Amino acid sequence: MTEFKPTILAFCCNWCSYAGADLAGVSRLQMPTNVHVVRVMCSASVKPEYVMKAISQGIDGVLVLGCHIGDCHYMTGNHRTAKRIPVVQKILKDVGIDEKRVRLDWVSAAEGEKFQKVITEFVDEVAKLGPNPLREVAF
Amino acid sequence: MREEHGNVAPVMIAKGEDPGDVRTDVPYQLMTILSNLYPWMSDGKKIAVLTRRCDEKALAEIFKRGYFDRARIVQIGLACSKEQIAACRCSDPVPSTVDIGEPHAGVGSDALSEKLMNMSSEERLRFWIYQFRKCNKCFACTANCPVCFCDECVLEERTFVPERGVPPGMSFHLIRAYHLADKCIECGECERSCPAGIPLLTFRKLVAKDFRDMYKFSPGDDKNVSPLLTTLEGEALEGDECNEC
Repeated sequence: MTEFKPTILAFCCNWCSYAGADLAGVSRLQMPTNVHVVRVMCSASVKPEYVMKAISQGIDGVLVLGCHIGDCHYMTGNHRTAKRIPVVQKILKDVGIDEKRVRLDWVSAAEGEKFQKVITEFVDEVAKLGPNPLREVAF
Repeated sequence: MREEHGNVAPVMIAKGEDPGDVRTDVPYQLMTILSNLYPWMSDGKKIAVLTRRCDEKALAEIFKRGYFDRARIVQIGLACSKEQIAACRCSDPVPSTVDIGEPHAGVGSDALSEKLMNMSSEERLRFWIYQFRKCNKCFACTANCPVCFCDECVLEERTFVPERGVPPGMSFHLIRAYHLADKCIECGECERSCPAGIPLLTFRKLVAKDFRDMYKFSPGDDKNVSPLLTTLEGEALEGDECNEC
């Protein structure tokens, strides 16, 4: 049997995390390749509905990356994200999906290495959890 | 409420009119009806409405989002009967002022939600998949919900629902659960109106409990001036900001 490779969706904010991902790329840091990066203008523009949709359609893990608290380009965007994503995790827990499948983290534009670390850790963690149980479910 | 042709239906009474034989065991959410009536009310006129504790909480959430004018609504407190409390597994059934009826104490726990939280997550997921599979996406839970007052429903957006299609998979319920997280008042109307018999109230109670643990906030709380998830602490809702989410 081949090794399970999770499919990960990463929402990166344009001002910090996406630049951080860029830095990780140009620094040639090695990291798992099964991450699809979606660039958004701010982590607060990631509607929790998008996360819910991704999970319910069989994505194995969703990563939301934003600027550090206090560094948001739009002043308070990431404060809002910090309020919303925990609710998503709790709702997933309540229906029986592991809350570790959704993760919120802060990566600044200078933290290429942290980006690598976050991605590697998250992919390992989701690989341990196994495939998303909703992938096989037909509604 | 008045009984007509064997059904209990809401009645509107103008000033000086004889109310006749009315009933006070309200079987549905009056705020849903009021939300439909409100735009048709002529300017400056007031309306009095029977409010149980859940109606009161729904009103608080509606006021927070600026849909109704506080000065135009007169509340008449109505205490729920024991049967109603048992049906809703309601823990907070007594309105702030009781004008009609006798107050009864609430029920502390919900048997099904406790049973679910003692299950392993696989079992719980199997349970909810079984339940949500029964859903035929009739939108009855949305249509009858007292706190579903957005002009454009998030569940009808093209991003989440294909054109002329039904919402796919579990996303309907997950998105709805998130969307109601900071305003669901646990009235149980979704469960009562669901033709498939999905225990939606139990799901709402599970989410509400987590929400209380995280933010020390339960919807219907008047102290909080603005919707919890869309605005930051102490921030009032501005005119140009989206007041629907």
